[in-house]
Amino acid sequence: MESISPDGDSGDKYTINGDCSPTSNKDSNSLNHAKNIDDISTPSELKFDEDFEFEDPDVTKKRKELEKCLSNPDVVNLEQWVNFAKSKAGLISDEYRRKIWPLLVGVTQEEMTEPPSLDELSTHPEYNQVVLDVNRSLKRFPPGIPYEQRVALQDQLTVLILRVIMKYPHLKYYQGYHDVAITLLLVCGDKASFPLLCRLSYGPSAPLAPFMQTTMQPTQHLLNYMLPVIRRADERLSDCLEKSGVGTMFALPWYLTWFGHSLNRYADVVRLYDYFLCAAPLFPVYVTAALVLHRAPDVLLCDCDMAMMHCLLSRLPDDLPFEDILVTAKKLYDENDPTDLEPEVAALEKREEQQRRADEERMRRRAAERAGRGRAGGWRALPAALRRPGPRRAALALAAALLAVYVYYRPDLFREREDDL
Amino acid sequence: MSEPNEPVPGLKQKKVFKIIVLGDSGVGKTCLTYRFCEGQFLDKSEATIGVDFRERTVRIRNEDIKLQLWDTAGQERFRKSMVQHYYRNVHAVVIVYDVTKPETFHSIANWMQEVESHGLTGAPRVLVGNKCDCGTPESRLATTYAQRLADKHGMPLFETSALLDSECDNVESIFMTLAHKLYSKQPLRVLSVEGERGPRLVTLSRQKRNNSSNDSCLCS
Repeated sequence: MESISPDGDSGDKYTINGDCSPTSNKDSNSLNHAKNIDDISTPSELKFDEDFEFEDPDVTKKRKELEKCLSNPDVVNLEQWVNFAKSKAGLISDEYRRKIWPLLVGVTQEEMTEPPSLDELSTHPEYNQVVLDVNRSLKRFPPGIPYEQRVALQDQLTVLILRVIMKYPHLKYYQGYHDVAITLLLVCGDKASFPLLCRLSYGPSAPLAPFMQTTMQPTQHLLNYMLPVIRRADERLSDCLEKSGVGTMFALPWYLTWFGHSLNRYADVVRLYDYFLCAAPLFPVYVTAALVLHRAPDVLLCDCDMAMMHCLLSRLPDDLPFEDILVTAKKLYDENDPTDLEPEVAALEKREEQQRRADEERMRRRAAERAGRGRAGGWRALPAALRRPGPRRAALALAAALLAVYVYYRPDLFREREDDL
Repeated sequence: MSEPNEPVPGLKQKKVFKIIVLGDSGVGKTCLTYRFCEGQFLDKSEATIGVDFRERTVRIRNEDIKLQLWDTAGQERFRKSMVQHYYRNVHAVVIVYDVTKPETFHSIANWMQEVESHGLTGAPRVLVGNKCDCGTPESRLATTYAQRLADKHGMPLFETSALLDSECDNVESIFMTLAHKLYSKQPLRVLSVEGERGPRLVTLSRQKRNNSSNDSCLCS
């Protein structure tokens, strides 16, 4: 492949170094979660939990308990299911998840109704956006899945999403919602995943509800809780993040999709869903904080630059010890209640607002300066500028005077610039 | 292994040009930036949530230049308040539409408005019609039509395909055009130091006007 230089400069070359791929932690052997799950499941294996040769004895024990409980589910209370879901290795297998996930969010058998056909839903205004995103969700399906089966699942996914946003018209579809929906669909099937997704999307403490408002403002606000949590745990790391100006955008897809969009390993995704389905709505934010804390050594080594930092953080390595991270997140949650963090979040948002205003002011100045520099539209801009408040008028007059002097001395340059535009 | 692009102590830091890539959902922004930065087509591309980032170092007149591409989510709800942050210190803009979907072309007016609202009117911009491998010549948006709009806004037009290997040179030229344009604007756009681009500097590009008709691809 050859590089092209539009102006024919033969000195142009390039090197490809585009994807700043994640660095993996070499010390991940020390994690406390079932190692065999890790070793066997590759990013591509959907049924990661079959054909175990070695299994952590704790997990084997848990598996037996789960099977016992599932054989007589009526005598098991919610607390016990939650306990299974949150403790080490979660619900272990999709076979158990299929039955337990609906129980965790209180979905009953009666709610699991037959879905309508896709044709009935295609008139919805969000239909095109949903189809667009669903068609691009190939990575989330098990590879090697027969084409017909995958297309059928994708249709089910579209139906599932549209059903929910039609049932609750005030809820807005967001890119990433399909990542949550597909995880539910793959585990629970099309009948059970509809009431499940409804529970997650609608209601005062529904975890996905803030993401589905008219703007992303509520989401952004909630994601901001990550920063004081990090600051309280590791000031040096927090300073480093703040100095780089990286913000919270790197964690946005994590939060919006409960990591479904960002993790390569299906096993990790469903493990996290076990926990999130029965945790506090803000808990995923504490997991993002725990994750950033876990990666502190990499972060501290990274160039203190917004782009580099965003790049490092947004790409997650495949070997993250999620059992440890969940334990840390739980601890962080217990020690830093969201209500305690409110003043810190408010202060942070105030600072951001000030920064935004300063940026806007800078932009206005730049625009005014450009208008004053007298491109073709310079004269047209003048009357509009004169309608503005006094100080700006003075600034403009000064700019115009400077321009006049400038043009007087360098009319040639001025003309050349116009040609260039 | 040491990276060849690692800054050598005592030497000047590499120049960084920030380019933001905009356009409707599904027009191929991610594939385009991936093609440029990774040299291949992204097979299983997914919806971009928020903002993604890719970079590549190019060499212009024996100087290494780092091009940072900010690949943004197409869905409108991410734009307000969220992507805003990423317009800060942007040097150039790429607006992408899908040649097989006229509605994505019609959104360009909105994108232009957004660019201007962020004070980027003076920044170099290019218009990219992507997916020219798709559909029939009749179903694709006519080049003349797109060219008219590009001329109106004074930006070069490229028609390309992130999918076709044969088109990769064209994808190259999109970003290289911008890189050269930005390079020729030196020393006015130096490094990425905050607040350094003072309003006192007068931007005078000495680069000759780009003959944009040469940039169109011949893929129909």
